[in-house]
Amino acid sequence: MPSAIEELNSTMSSLAARVGQSVVQVGDGSGGGAGSIWHSGGLVVTNAHVARRKSLRVTLADGRLMRARLLARDTFHDVAALGIDMSGLPAIELGDSRRLQPGQWVFALGHPHGVRHALTGGVVIGTGPNWDEGPLAGREWLMLDLHLRPGNSGGPVFDVQGRMIGISTAIDGPESGLAVPVHTVKAFLREALQSEKVA
Amino acid sequence: MATVLTELSDSLASTVAKAGPSIVRVDARRGPPATGIAWSADGVIVTAHHVVERDDEIEIGLDSGRTAPATLVGRDPSTDMAVLRADVKGLAVPAWTEPTAMSVGHIVLALGRPGKSVRATFGIVSALGDSWVTPAGGRLDRFLQTDVVMYPGFSGGPLVDVSGRVAGMNTSGILRGMSLAIPHGTIATTVETLLAHGRVRRGYLGVGAQPVRLTATLAKQAGQETGLMVVSVQPSSSAEKAGLLQGDVIIGLGGEPMRHVDGLLTYLSGAEVGKKVTAKLVRGGKVQEVPVTIGERE
Repeated sequence: MPSAIEELNSTMSSLAARVGQSVVQVGDGSGGGAGSIWHSGGLVVTNAHVARRKSLRVTLADGRLMRARLLARDTFHDVAALGIDMSGLPAIELGDSRRLQPGQWVFALGHPHGVRHALTGGVVIGTGPNWDEGPLAGREWLMLDLHLRPGNSGGPVFDVQGRMIGISTAIDGPESGLAVPVHTVKAFLREALQSEKVA
Repeated sequence: MATVLTELSDSLASTVAKAGPSIVRVDARRGPPATGIAWSADGVIVTAHHVVERDDEIEIGLDSGRTAPATLVGRDPSTDMAVLRADVKGLAVPAWTEPTAMSVGHIVLALGRPGKSVRATFGIVSALGDSWVTPAGGRLDRFLQTDVVMYPGFSGGPLVDVSGRVAGMNTSGILRGMSLAIPHGTIATTVETLLAHGRVRRGYLGVGAQPVRLTATLAKQAGQETGLMVVSVQPSSSAEKAGLLQGDVIIGLGGEPMRHVDGLLTYLSGAEVGKKVTAKLVRGGKVQEVPVTIGERE
């Protein structure tokens, strides 16, 4: 019988492999970040600061390189939606970012410094809108004990069941990361995609 | 499907929830607030000395969201501890555990309340050891180092084990860049002393000293290889009053052999101020005994 720590190791690595199917690389020629497949019909979410151009390139987990177009962008919440002409993509499962508790274990997948599909793990430090300090103020954040680095931006933060609970967005120190909660992403998409139809 | 990972994550979160009510916010500095631990239900709170920058207008924040004024009972900079008293009743006191119940590699959480809600970080026990003297001359009855990340405002908060029991008070103020926890035993002694006297008295001699190797004859006679050579004597100190001279080699104090500077510091931090003890020293190649009164460290 495997020990608890062996079971933990195999659970974490299979979790990373499963969620990794839904994680893409997003590039604009000059820099890049990560993104998550939100919908199997070709909808990708990432950070606004990763998607700065109208025409972008997305590399799927299996290595296929696709052209993507910018559908909507919100710089205040640092969220963007991209479209790629593909269907049957492995969409990421969504979790509930309002129910997170400090101490719960979370992971992030991204491409820090160009290392593809790198995993980092840690716990939720705190959540909510009550951040007094400077640039954080006025927005909801997930503060996480994760080692986020350039290239993690736009990638998913997920819970122990592989459900996305946020987008890796900022580095708050060498050992602390900030993520936009998935409920903020949902609200953004509801509004953005509605107005796109109208337009 | 409940995997071992889900179970672990849920139990970490419930550990935080369990310890949360006994963790208070301590607002006693210009920077962001820090954390304290409820020591007794009637309002005694322990926190870190370095986060209590002012002696007045201290406020604590409770789990319920309520705030209350607190007064400074006393502080011990040498162990980075401060004790506060708040005018509140019925504080939730955590269950404590001794570091002897922990092993290197055990999972631990550091909790803080720099804002309204409890925040948590996670790590493992990195090192455990016997009694240890801090750079400031305070003595911790156990050395307990972890790799938990100390965010601004986490100092003064508890290090909790996976059962939600508090093993110590975290501080990044004793060694920069290292997360140390002050163990329960040291906290208990310090709180008791501060409640009784308002300060912690620590022994002091008033010498600068460095270890030197004894000659073979002396080593045989003293039963030790090294002693402490006095390189300076502070004016008006108990060392000067006892007639200690530059060049004396201290080989014993109060019946304890003195081989290294750490040994002297450990002895003094536990010594009773005002007590007369015998210093055993080598002067002019001969072993002598000199009476010394333990002074108080300022």
